[in-house]
Amino acid sequence: MPLPGYIGPVLSASHAFGCDRDAGKALNSPGFKIVGYCLRQARNANRKRFTMCSHRAMLRLFFTILVACAGWSVTPLLASGQSVSRKETATPATREAGLVAWQQVYSVLTHPRCINCHTATNYPQQGDDRHRHVVNVVRGPGGKGVPGLNCTTCHQGANADNTGVPGGHDWHLAPLSMKWQDLNDKILSSAEICRSLIDRSKNHNLDGSGLLKHHEEEPLVLWAFQPGRRRDGTPRSLPQLTHDEFVAATRTWVEAGTPCPQNP
Amino acid sequence: METYKLTVNGQPKEVAVDPGTPLLWVLREELKMTGTKYGCGIAACGACTVHVAGIATRSCVVPVSLVGDRPVVTIEGIGQDPVGRAVQDAWVSEDVVQCGYCQSGQIMGAVALLKSTPKPTDTNIEESMGGNICRCGTYVRIRQAIKSASQQLKSGGAS
Repeated sequence: MPLPGYIGPVLSASHAFGCDRDAGKALNSPGFKIVGYCLRQARNANRKRFTMCSHRAMLRLFFTILVACAGWSVTPLLASGQSVSRKETATPATREAGLVAWQQVYSVLTHPRCINCHTATNYPQQGDDRHRHVVNVVRGPGGKGVPGLNCTTCHQGANADNTGVPGGHDWHLAPLSMKWQDLNDKILSSAEICRSLIDRSKNHNLDGSGLLKHHEEEPLVLWAFQPGRRRDGTPRSLPQLTHDEFVAATRTWVEAGTPCPQNP
Repeated sequence: METYKLTVNGQPKEVAVDPGTPLLWVLREELKMTGTKYGCGIAACGACTVHVAGIATRSCVVPVSLVGDRPVVTIEGIGQDPVGRAVQDAWVSEDVVQCGYCQSGQIMGAVALLKSTPKPTDTNIEESMGGNICRCGTYVRIRQAIKSASQQLKSGGAS
């Protein structure tokens, strides 16, 4: 599948002149049919003993074949829907910038302020050491705890700095489809989280602009950058980026077509 | 100091306290409603549980400034509710209490559970009541009382 925001292929010289490459696979391609048509026309012309093989006619035929080969080169890619390799994309620098920006986004997503509620288990985590949430808090069917022990049993609409309990609007766990850890609480790789994040079957059907808006406006995302104070009065640790920097990095990544690193 | 208007057990109340004052202190010190207990002070034991807008809430960690206009129900008022009445009756009939210190919080938690899960399983009870600690270890009787209240409510026996 092409990446969101994928611009499309730009022909390289090797494609335009690589007519004989994988020719067997392209027998039925529209480009090959055009070449065949041209050759048949030439044979027909020969049988009728027309005197069309002048230098000018041959030149015209050559260019016809050249254009047909160009069409053949790009047609299989378009038909299959596969993206082309990086050197063939429109703006390799943009993709590079997008990958750099993604790593910045990844550094935020995997900070404890974010990932503690993106678990793969039936409970949230707490603290910079990401330990299991105390008092046996469980995920519950909607990611909001269970009756009698909801997230909002303690977490209110804002931080309670005098008692050390963090808070924000609609405090809840991320859905399991947005887990960024494995069942052993190991953080998933950059490529794994990236692919998960852009998978619209997992992310509430958000496209790139939707993801950007989520990072710009979601109250619990905003909370991660203003997480308040711990019970002992010390401030909670912050992600490496400010919220503005996080949004800017997300925007760069989205504008680059939300590229993801290769495995792992 | 700021003035806050609260609705506690259906009654309007007004208190003048620091915005960061925990709801528990407002209930106990300002309104003299001492049925809600101070246990750990860090939301780890459940003794201070009240209902805020129907949600079981640890009043020791909720600043009064964050309560807003949401109604508060405490152990003093829960008996006015049919589910609350059934749970209190079951607590008596099952003789749940030993020292009793945690029991107001236990009852508030049990009512919250039964209001959304009228026929709870053992797992439901364990998950919902897991944050309410009883130093006397009355958990077996708490579980039985919840099931008893559930049965009483199902048969329409709550007064």
